[in-house]
Amino acid sequence: MNRIGCISINHRSAPVEVREKILLSPQDFRSLCVRGGEVYALTTCNRTEVYWTGVDENALVQHVAALSEMPDEEFRRHCETFRGEEAIRHLFMVASGLDSLIIGENQILGQVKDAYRQALAAGTTSVFLNKALHRTFRTAKRVRTETSIGRYPVSVASQAVELACHIFGDISASPVLVIGAGDMAGIAARRLKDRGAGDLCIINRTFPAACDLAEELGGKPRSFSALREELLRCAIVITSTGSPTPIITRSIMDDVMKQRRNEPMIIIDIAVPRDVEPEAGKCYNCYLYDIDALKSIVDKHVSFRQEETDKALAIISSEVERFARWAGSLDAQATIRDLFSLMDEYIASEMGANSLEPRHAAIVEQRLRSSLKRYLHRVASYLKEHPTLTNIEQTRRIFQLDEDYQDRHKG
Amino acid sequence: MILWIMVLLYVLTGVCFITYLFWRRRPAVLIARGLFLVSVTLHLLLTLSLTGPAHRIPLASPVQAANMMILFASLVFIFFAFRRQTAVLGAFFLPVAVIALGMIAPRLQAGAGGPLPVMFQAWYPLHTVSVVAGEALFAVAFVVSIVYLIHEDIIRKGRLHWTVASLPPLKLLDRILSACLGAGFVAITAGILFGALWASSLGVDLSQIVMKISAGAAMWVVFAFSLHQRFAIRWSGRRTAIITITGFLLMILLFVGINLAYPGAHGAGLTR
Repeated sequence: MNRIGCISINHRSAPVEVREKILLSPQDFRSLCVRGGEVYALTTCNRTEVYWTGVDENALVQHVAALSEMPDEEFRRHCETFRGEEAIRHLFMVASGLDSLIIGENQILGQVKDAYRQALAAGTTSVFLNKALHRTFRTAKRVRTETSIGRYPVSVASQAVELACHIFGDISASPVLVIGAGDMAGIAARRLKDRGAGDLCIINRTFPAACDLAEELGGKPRSFSALREELLRCAIVITSTGSPTPIITRSIMDDVMKQRRNEPMIIIDIAVPRDVEPEAGKCYNCYLYDIDALKSIVDKHVSFRQEETDKALAIISSEVERFARWAGSLDAQATIRDLFSLMDEYIASEMGANSLEPRHAAIVEQRLRSSLKRYLHRVASYLKEHPTLTNIEQTRRIFQLDEDYQDRHKG
Repeated sequence: MILWIMVLLYVLTGVCFITYLFWRRRPAVLIARGLFLVSVTLHLLLTLSLTGPAHRIPLASPVQAANMMILFASLVFIFFAFRRQTAVLGAFFLPVAVIALGMIAPRLQAGAGGPLPVMFQAWYPLHTVSVVAGEALFAVAFVVSIVYLIHEDIIRKGRLHWTVASLPPLKLLDRILSACLGAGFVAITAGILFGALWASSLGVDLSQIVMKISAGAAMWVVFAFSLHQRFAIRWSGRRTAIITITGFLLMILLFVGINLAYPGAHGAGLTR
């Protein structure tokens, strides 16, 4: 198990100025992956991590520091290192979103998978890291399905989309109006687009900015004068402008809802100061949420995710233990021992299935044992002569010596 | 015995749907659907067995009418149960159905399959089936209205728990509510007309069934008002749900009240 190690530069250990300097690709490590060495590099906006086995740690750190054009000492200062079980635990936690800035976020799993695809293409991973990463995906999946850690949205934009889905269900059929073309409005509009919103209209006082956002999202830009017209048409409204006074008043909404014949409408006001008069939310079938309302929902969700963390950590511990068992078995002697235990099990089950007289049973058992021993001797000799990780792993896989393979066989 | 097995099956189905509401796993809904199918099939067979040798529609008593109403409503909810977005509605319908069945079960078989009274003419099946189908659709609308109000309250207050994710979206609930009200209203109106034709063909003294007529008219007005508000000034959503709940409770009150205060009012007027 101690063969694996990890160096990590993440949002806890390094400021963004340092993190943004370190951008690695699997090709950068090909020179290090000789004589059984394996390297897996993960780069996201919040972290850069390198997992390795069979590589000299100091050489690796110097290599990464050189690639990042940073002095060795400075790099080490911002670097966290993990060895053995702790490295595996860290990998599992990262992929499950437990080490993320927003606990439980699920984007990281996709990034871990992408990085693995690149590593496979570059040929920098082999038996040990392949197994570790497959275990990682399984652990992350378990954490997601067996706990409620990812159930609640924890960003204002995601929460806004979630609320719209509760009202309209399939939002692809609901026209969306985005008022403002700033960052917040853009993020919320992108979330809606990701969830299938097809009919997007962007209104902004500065028309070119509306055009830019509309082009990015495949929406339709409109001038500010078309606000009332679009309010009549759209069911989902996201507003985030810099206006010092409300742009949607109760009287406007009274009029709009009357003309809409009380068709339901959700207004997400993420502007400060608010773009929509609070009284407007009292119109029949109008659901108004301002930034405080959304934040209070999100805060509850964040605290819930933290409560779920304990359950997730328990899953991770059990998976680390399981992986450690597998790693411990990656030894030629242990594999040969397991092979002969398998033979004993096989003989016992065969003898149990036949009701022979004791005299005959002893002869049959002896013959069976000597035949199987002769057969297994070839495998055992080969393993002793060539005790490479690949050979050991292949043998364990062929004879289904690990519970993983047994599970797969049964399944 | 079979009757109580059926009630037990309904109870188990309800438990499975409630489990599905809180534990959104596929096995829970699959078991619930299977149990629901078995329960409704058994219910249907049991109701058919009440027809007797005279092949009379089992609607001879208020208890049998209530039984038929629950059966019709269950058939509608079977349809919902096999749709992903609406499957969870069973968790709200089954408890109501179980309580109602538990109340009527001891007296369900009384007078079953008896001889055909003189009052049962051609208009009779049309009147009874239309009215019961209409009432069953109102029962469905009642359950959907309750779910709508719960879901809307949660959304307005922002108490989004993960169980809420399994509730159908408000727009879908509103569409179901609207469809049930529309179809139920047509059925009830037809039932009232068939009843009037039936009574006139028998030359019945209407003063004897005035309470029944008044109760029916009151209920009809409530639903007509609800539909009018919905289509004329688009009172969709919460207001329609509140009117539907009020109307349905009034319907139950009148159904139970009239039959308790004026036992046999229906039959007495129609049998000469």
